[in-house]
Amino acid sequence: MMLASFLVLLFVDPGATLSTMIDASTDALTLCIELCAVYAVWLGLLEIVDASGLGKKLAKLLRPLIKKLFRVDNEEIEKMIALNMSANILGLGNAATPMGIKAMQAMDDKSGKATFSMMMLVVVNATSIQLLPSTVIGLRANAGSANPSDIILPTILATIVTTSIGIMLVILCDKIKNRFARKKK
Amino acid sequence: MSVYILPVLFIGLFIYGFAKKINTYDTFVKGAKGAIKLVVDIFPFIACIMVAVALLRVSGITEFLAKCLAPVFNFLGIPSELCELILLRPFTGSGSYALLDDVFTTYGADSYIGRCASVILGCSETIFYVATVYLSQTKVKKLGYAIPCALVASIVGAIVACLLCRVM
Repeated sequence: MMLASFLVLLFVDPGATLSTMIDASTDALTLCIELCAVYAVWLGLLEIVDASGLGKKLAKLLRPLIKKLFRVDNEEIEKMIALNMSANILGLGNAATPMGIKAMQAMDDKSGKATFSMMMLVVVNATSIQLLPSTVIGLRANAGSANPSDIILPTILATIVTTSIGIMLVILCDKIKNRFARKKK
Repeated sequence: MSVYILPVLFIGLFIYGFAKKINTYDTFVKGAKGAIKLVVDIFPFIACIMVAVALLRVSGITEFLAKCLAPVFNFLGIPSELCELILLRPFTGSGSYALLDDVFTTYGADSYIGRCASVILGCSETIFYVATVYLSQTKVKKLGYAIPCALVASIVGAIVACLLCRVM
């Protein structure tokens, strides 16, 4: 991907190559500093959620769903996934990230391959189950929309579609893979 | 309404913490400490993906791809004006919001295209970014079928989004 861009830039605008990269890297650093602030707040709150036993309660509540969907059976992982999904639903993608990373670390079997649970978590997070597209609404208001929030309902419906299709595809792929594995034997 | 959700949740959390006799200050500090290490750990991955995306955009490859794919998107019922937005969405959050803003200024936030773009952004995520960052702290090198599944789901979502915007 990068190589192709380099090759094209060589003909189009060779002078822009390095400056583009450094600009992007600077953007990444700015983003990380912002993320650091966001994570500090959320990880701090998360620690309280965790220490007060609220995380365990939430995990218990969502346990049947998580167990079935992610096929995990470990209290720590269940808790992290429960918090990750709650944050996602509230539209706090950045708050969901640290919990997601922790869950991933706990699910890692060090084989170098992603397990079913890990792939499910990636897909669920990558298809965004959010109820309130706050950034989009903000941008619409800024752009002078007469009714910035009239996209909420279609967005929620579309989100349900993407997430459920994603989940179904992961289960389907897993079934196909298992069938192939059995045939080989 | 929605502005009240978070503050109320936080108040509830702290009251619950007091009830359980937790030192909220110490606990918060302990958790917040983890943020710096986490960000340092994921910075290289974020930098790499952002540099790659910036190169793709500056070199004009995305624009070229968007032009090539326009007939396909038209066939699927997605306005071809939104090609670049859909192509970039899986890679960059801030980049796609910038594009959304462009769409609003060019076509208007309440136009069909503007509303489609809003719903598409709202129902999709930065797939590659999520996958990279989430798995950056694990030993996983092979992702299996996770990315294709998420991509297909997002494309279907985009089609549904455009349909919904037409009727709603």
